[in-house]
Amino acid sequence: MLYSTHDLVAIIPELILTGFAFAILLIDLWLPKRAKTVNGLLALFGVVFSFASVLTMYNTNMSAFNNMIVMDRASNFASIVMLLTAFVAIVMSFDFLKREDYNLGEYYEVLLFSIVAMQILASTYSLIVMFIAVETLSIGMYILTGFLRNKDESVEGAMKYFILGSFASTFLVLGIGMFYGLFGSTDLNVIRMGLTHASAFYKWIAILAFLFVFVGFGFKIAAFPFHSWTPDVYASAPTPMSAFMSVAPKAAAFLALLRFVAVGMGPIEANWTKILWVIAVATMTFGNTVALWQKDLKRLLGYSSIAHAGYMLVGITAANELGYGAVMFYLFAYLFMNLGAFAVAEFISQKEDRGTEIENLRGFGYKYPLIGAAMLVFMFCLAGVPPTAGFVGKYYLFSAAVKSHLYWLAVIGVINSAISAYFYLNIVVVMYMRGEQEKEVNVFNSVPVKAVILLTAICVLYIGIFPSSFLSAALNSIAF
Amino acid sequence: MDMNQLHFPILSLITFLPLVGAFIVALINEEHENLIKYVTFAFLVLDFIISLPLFFYFDPTTYHMQFVERVPWIKSLGFQYYVGVDGISLFLVLLTTFLTPLAQLSTWKAIDKKVKLFNITILLMQTGMLGVFISLDMFLFYVFWEVQLIPMYLMIGIWGGPNRVFATMKFFLYTFAGSVLMMVAIMALYFLHHKFTGVYTSDMVKLMQSPLPYHLQLWLFLAFFIAFAIKVPMWPFHTWLPWAHVEAPTAGSVLLAGILLKMGTYGFLRFNLPMFPDMTHAFAILIIILAVIGIFYGAFVAMVQPDIKKLVAYSSVSHLGYSMLGMFALTQVGVEGSIMQMINHGISTGALFLLVGIVYERRHTRLISEYGGLASLTPAYAAFFMIFTLSSIAVPGTNGFVGEFMVLLGAFLYKHIWGILVAFGGIFSATYMLTMYKRVFFNKVTNPKNLGLSDMNIREWLYLVPLLVFVFWIGIYPSTFLSKMRVSVEHLLKQVNRTTVVSPAKSEQVSMVKTVVVKKG
Repeated sequence: MLYSTHDLVAIIPELILTGFAFAILLIDLWLPKRAKTVNGLLALFGVVFSFASVLTMYNTNMSAFNNMIVMDRASNFASIVMLLTAFVAIVMSFDFLKREDYNLGEYYEVLLFSIVAMQILASTYSLIVMFIAVETLSIGMYILTGFLRNKDESVEGAMKYFILGSFASTFLVLGIGMFYGLFGSTDLNVIRMGLTHASAFYKWIAILAFLFVFVGFGFKIAAFPFHSWTPDVYASAPTPMSAFMSVAPKAAAFLALLRFVAVGMGPIEANWTKILWVIAVATMTFGNTVALWQKDLKRLLGYSSIAHAGYMLVGITAANELGYGAVMFYLFAYLFMNLGAFAVAEFISQKEDRGTEIENLRGFGYKYPLIGAAMLVFMFCLAGVPPTAGFVGKYYLFSAAVKSHLYWLAVIGVINSAISAYFYLNIVVVMYMRGEQEKEVNVFNSVPVKAVILLTAICVLYIGIFPSSFLSAALNSIAF
Repeated sequence: MDMNQLHFPILSLITFLPLVGAFIVALINEEHENLIKYVTFAFLVLDFIISLPLFFYFDPTTYHMQFVERVPWIKSLGFQYYVGVDGISLFLVLLTTFLTPLAQLSTWKAIDKKVKLFNITILLMQTGMLGVFISLDMFLFYVFWEVQLIPMYLMIGIWGGPNRVFATMKFFLYTFAGSVLMMVAIMALYFLHHKFTGVYTSDMVKLMQSPLPYHLQLWLFLAFFIAFAIKVPMWPFHTWLPWAHVEAPTAGSVLLAGILLKMGTYGFLRFNLPMFPDMTHAFAILIIILAVIGIFYGAFVAMVQPDIKKLVAYSSVSHLGYSMLGMFALTQVGVEGSIMQMINHGISTGALFLLVGIVYERRHTRLISEYGGLASLTPAYAAFFMIFTLSSIAVPGTNGFVGEFMVLLGAFLYKHIWGILVAFGGIFSATYMLTMYKRVFFNKVTNPKNLGLSDMNIREWLYLVPLLVFVFWIGIYPSTFLSKMRVSVEHLLKQVNRTTVVSPAKSEQVSMVKTVVVKKG
């Protein structure tokens, strides 16, 4: 027998989600239109059960399906990040879909399937499985981006995403093919072995292959120069999905990238750290500089997410355990701050998912004191000011760079932080310092959204003040 | 070596009591403005009262940290919640708890919108400021250092003048940019200390003995220097200061001048001097030059200011130049004078900002030309203003004299020329302060709008008299204060003058020898 039931244990979290996704597919057929929220609740249950299974098996370390799938603390940690993100995104979606009159079962179902793909992406050492996972999750993301199919921008964003994404995938598969040609396997451990003994010529080919594979991952994590889809997609996708996309696929792609560089590319570390140094600097600087001119909150968050991908690349470039752990911690912290900020964007959005201009936040801090205060916390957190999770996360990322003697990288990173403070604080200025709003702005008065905003703000502060246990978990999750 | 003579976490109580107050104020309905003011004031006064045992139980015979608390915080990296005070930080803590309630008292009329938010802000600021002075763990220090930017940013931005947004953004970005470089330096120090001693620690007391080689000290020193020089602010990093001061509400200016700027000078004393002794000696002359430029520059620019508040703001640049000069003269009397100057500047400049606020509250202008002859209209106000003016220009008998004289003495002992040169600075400060005083208070009342001016009310008396007490207390009997800082300053200078140690092995020998010497001594 090729597979044993033992193998299935390693994919229990994925199986649970798949089961729920199929359940939604079936049940949706019988649901009357006004009861469609049941789909959302089912999806929520799926995520909760999957989450519970990940937690119970958190310390498991096993590989299955002929080493195609692994379950280790890293994959579980990433799963936790993705499932938490999914949970929050689903909660943000309930009232949103009702308002937009798109309360369809497909939404949740595609969402669940794409999380399955992300979990697979995070738990494999096989490049080919990574490729399949990337493709699967991307298809889900394309659909969800264009979900509001009567809104032109939304469809345009999806189309753009799709075309650029397919293009990036061809590079990914080309790179994988080259690795296969060089070492006869797509398994990262085998590639590592091969690279250790490879001749200089083979190494140069491997560096080229590395670049091709990186195009694929770089596209997913929105690294410069593969970022150009990000602002459009974030601005045009349904807001809960923008929020979801800004965290969950990144968590999966970052872990896959970590496995790829730390395990597979170990022998040519000296080469890829140089490449990533340049990309990290370009990504941070580009994201932060362009964000300075943004007028729309969602678009601003799009550019800001490019910048944050740059910060996380700093942790990878450091190429030490602290850096890898810091990336995991940062993903965890980023989850709360970014989802919170997107939830505020949803809170101010109007029908058809419009009206997220920053100018609409004028006087917001006085009209909605609690939500305004939460937004203030998110902005300081994204800027990396203590006592927030964002500060702690950045501190570890940059100190990993310092540990590897990449002083200039750390300095460029913190200068970027200072630049970013300008546009994040500008939002605080609009909320608190520019007087009251002249025109009447209706907000999206959804209780779940408000709950998300307040809870994520509390989490951001809690993680910022008591980061010890989260940080240990993140550092311990990395044991390649 | 840590000691906590009270066996009670007094420093945490002082630091976090205002935070508790902020939560309580947050629960009060916005409409009960008076209640909010009283509760806030009560919390701040209570905080001051609780901080008094620090003064009475402080042991002036040791340089070790006192009232220490130590709790593991971020275990995987060895960061601790480690707080304590010595003779250097003691008075800055007390100055903070002393000045904030007075500043809050000055806002009861002046702040008429978003009163609740304002009082929450001031309470949060108190926590942030105290945290900076008591932290003995570098990570903790950095957290507080940045945290206190947020309330000040809001205070200037929300309750400030017409250009408040520009001013507050400039304030925040300038300081933030300076401090993120310090963050990298803190990280580097952490790893370098490990490299040379094999220990990962962010314990400042341990890092002060870090045997850093000469070439590494350079970059670290510069990173810390930039962060602190911006905060002080030293010439030429001062450009954010006039903006921030002019736009800030009175209480904001008082806290900014009185306490926030001291974080810069304190940072030099706590980090640059003991941690990078070689660079301290190497850069002393450069920093002294900058300080002297600051003294004269501040004074000259103050002379031509049409706005009283701006004048006082520029005088800050000048006064803190004295503090930096005394510090980098690296003599006992100079460093002590530098600390005295910090305290004095907090008292007299704080008071001057409060006084400017009083007249601004009534007339909504701070232009010198709008006033004249106020002495006959508001005699009590004029008298207070006179005393604090004299204190600011360091007339003997006032606190200002003690600080400036000690700094001059220190500079003189370092190199005669500096002492002689800077003595002239006093003339200029007398010029701008007295000219301003003359134009505002003497001659005839030319502006009819001033005729209706009322003299100081009880609340205003209440917050100026305590400051007045210290003007004369420090001026006449400074030993109360100097005696408590002597041993700590001696120890600091010993650290600055230690020999350069290159190899880690050698450093252990030296530190062993040192401990033997200390034990014998």
